[in-house]
Amino acid sequence: MKEILKLNHIQKYYGNGGNVTKAIQDISFSVQEGELVGIMGASGSGKTTLLNCISTIDMVSAGHIYLDGTDITEIKEKQIARFRRENLGFIFQDFNLLDTLTISENIALALTINKVPAGKIDGRVREMAGKLNIMDILDKYPYQVSGGQKQRCACARAIINQPKLILADEPTGALDSHSSQMLLSTIQSINEELGATILMVTHDAFSASYASRILFLRDGAIFTEIRKGSDSRKIFFEKILDVLTMMGGGLSDVR
Amino acid sequence: MEQKTIGLLFFSETFFLLILSVSVGILLGMIVSQFITAMLLASFGKPYAFSWAFFPDTVLMTVGFFVVCQILVGIGNVRILNKSRIIELMTANRQNEKPLHKSRWMPMICIFYGILLLWMLEVGAVKYYFYFDSRHPLPVKLMYWGNIVFPSLTLLWGITGAFLRRKTGFSRYLCGLLAGAVMTAIPTFSIAKLENTYFLGYDAPTLNQYLMFGIADILFIISTIIYLSNEALLYWKESKVSRKYHNTNLFLFGQLSSKLVTNTKTMTIICVTLTFSICLFVIAPVLTGWSLGYLDSRAVYDIQISSRYNNVYEVENLPDTDYDEITDFIEKNQIAIEDDLIFSEYLPKRDSFHQRVKYDFPPLAIALKDYNAVREMLGYEPVILKSDEFATHWHRAADVKDIEDYIAVHSLLETDTGTLKLSENPVFQEPVGESIYNLYTDVVYIIPDKAAQALLPVQRNRFVMTKRPLSFKTAEALEQLLASTYPEDPGKDNLPGYSTTIHTTEVNRTIALNFILKASLIYSAVVLMVMCLTVLALQQLLDAEKYHYRFSVLRKMGVEEKELNILVLKQLGVWFGLPIATAIAVAIVVISYFLQSVSAEISAYIGCRALMRQTGITVGIFALLLGCYFLSTWLLFQRSIRGSSNRL
Repeated sequence: MKEILKLNHIQKYYGNGGNVTKAIQDISFSVQEGELVGIMGASGSGKTTLLNCISTIDMVSAGHIYLDGTDITEIKEKQIARFRRENLGFIFQDFNLLDTLTISENIALALTINKVPAGKIDGRVREMAGKLNIMDILDKYPYQVSGGQKQRCACARAIINQPKLILADEPTGALDSHSSQMLLSTIQSINEELGATILMVTHDAFSASYASRILFLRDGAIFTEIRKGSDSRKIFFEKILDVLTMMGGGLSDVR
Repeated sequence: MEQKTIGLLFFSETFFLLILSVSVGILLGMIVSQFITAMLLASFGKPYAFSWAFFPDTVLMTVGFFVVCQILVGIGNVRILNKSRIIELMTANRQNEKPLHKSRWMPMICIFYGILLLWMLEVGAVKYYFYFDSRHPLPVKLMYWGNIVFPSLTLLWGITGAFLRRKTGFSRYLCGLLAGAVMTAIPTFSIAKLENTYFLGYDAPTLNQYLMFGIADILFIISTIIYLSNEALLYWKESKVSRKYHNTNLFLFGQLSSKLVTNTKTMTIICVTLTFSICLFVIAPVLTGWSLGYLDSRAVYDIQISSRYNNVYEVENLPDTDYDEITDFIEKNQIAIEDDLIFSEYLPKRDSFHQRVKYDFPPLAIALKDYNAVREMLGYEPVILKSDEFATHWHRAADVKDIEDYIAVHSLLETDTGTLKLSENPVFQEPVGESIYNLYTDVVYIIPDKAAQALLPVQRNRFVMTKRPLSFKTAEALEQLLASTYPEDPGKDNLPGYSTTIHTTEVNRTIALNFILKASLIYSAVVLMVMCLTVLALQQLLDAEKYHYRFSVLRKMGVEEKELNILVLKQLGVWFGLPIATAIAVAIVVISYFLQSVSAEISAYIGCRALMRQTGITVGIFALLLGCYFLSTWLLFQRSIRGSSNRL
């Protein structure tokens, strides 16, 4: 399988002088095409910083990130925006939908920004809406639909341009359990049926159990990594809980 | 933190800012007031010297006023904060703007407009019944018909459309009313032009009534245009797929639409206020220029007094005075005289003495020697007439075409002493004062001295030029003396009235009043414009948090900074452009109507070049203010949407 993402000893520091915070210490890993990789860790472990660096929203302090062979840490400032819209798709915890546009227009915006011919846009939006089961809410505004529907709209917007990598930051963070389950099924089907590569940051074990591989971060570094392999999701979920328990600390850590 | 504490913190913060603003305002006000002092002194032709004036009582009153306002508003705000739930305060920036679908603003305006149309229809029908004449030229006929047909049709649509509203939709209903309102405005605003061209005989109250109709019609047009602007924007967006899906157009349409639909009232009020401000900017120099220009025509002589015979019905009651009180006053006050002229004006035909119909007052005649003496006083060349000739002297505001038309049909003048023919050099129009003309006329016949001898003298004049201008005190004393001896209104019939003008008092009072008029009009115009532009700017900047979020979404989606800057420019351009363009368009119509109705006075007292210069200054001030506001809003807006992280 093709290696789509490769992180090579990346570090990220905040602050200056004697007041430096190391958000990411030294992280290296790679993601294969079509993988659904989960990143887990407690608050402050560096999950979101890592995602922001991969998504070119933030810059690394050291190291290199390669997306399909392109070193994104070397891309010039003026070309960053173009690279982002052509190669990446985003799903955020708070949906990041525009309240002034309808659901249909929110999805179409991703296409118009990518200069897709106007005549093809409506068709592609409808096709994607059909796949994500949001056809009946296309003409509604975000404030008129449920959280789950909003997030499915965000998914549609993220994948409609068929990006090389989809980055999901706590996608179920603002959803109830039923909506979360539906969304995770959607993400899984996007991964399996459309072959999309997804990197999902979450601190929820249940959400992470949908991934094929999970990286656990602690204090800005990879603590461990587990793979689902041929295990059922239930067994994989238990493994995740075990790792989280281990990461949470043992009796020796209590003073 | 308790809401009460939050409220108090908010109150303290705004109170501190108020004190700071008022302090800076007072300081700047003291400096800027020097400009007003300089303008005032310049009006009177006096030199200006900087003086630092501080009035503690004024400062106390200013501070007191704003503090009371702040306390009242602050208490209201604290109450609102106390009643708000914490969660509402925390998520206030993420709430959607409230839709305006249930607002009764526009339906109420439509009802008021319907009542106005009914009134216009009634007035149009009454005017048609009493004044319409089949001999009127076509434009006048069209005006009469239009003032009935257009209000009727618009009213008909207003009523039937109201019943069919659910079927046609409110926007289409409004489009129909808008079209009707525009059609109705055409005959309404054509009246001033037609009145000037064809002398319809409409009196001032009728013209004012139509001006009021026109203004009300325009207010409705503005409200409707602003209300429909969002619909128009959506229609434009949906009418072409390539336009809708071009680059970031979807985002721009969404931004504009959400703001337009929730700010209809504000935009309408801004638009109306801007229109008013622009009109004031243009009308102020016209009115003040008229006033000053008229002063030059009115106060030509240092002392001037003329009798009026319009209340005199017996020939023996006509005045025959040399105004000896003036002679005594001059001697008593040792005033050096350069010229002193006492003369009469005559009625060419004695039997026209009782001709007192307003539109048929007879022009007066002046003897050639008296006319030449007047010209000599004012430094003009004397006029030469043969013994059987006459010439005419016209009011400064008389229209050249009117004069030509008059001359064309008045080549002979019938007098009690014979018929005179028009001289080869028949027209003079230098400013020689307002009082030589008979009431309601703007021409005087110049006739040979011999011909004047046997005519009936009906008006007695005395014009005096002093070697040095009279002091204000002396002029005021003389004015009081003449007012008591020769009152303007004699108080009973069959006695003459008098018109007195003393140059010094007239000039000083007119300049002072003119300054107040000019300052207040221009000040009001600037304040109104600044208010409108401030509200427009704040409307955008107050939503900075919301815009920051929306633009950051675009950045995350991969829109370049250059494209974002263009989006901001487009958004601000439409936001500022819509009310300003509407206001300018409407102001042009209103100002054209006004200029049309005072075109004669403008050409006589101001001059087209001076008016163009003033208008140019106005446009300059407007453009400067607009430029400053737009630029500062643009810069602040860009700062507010700038990313917070390294790249966003």
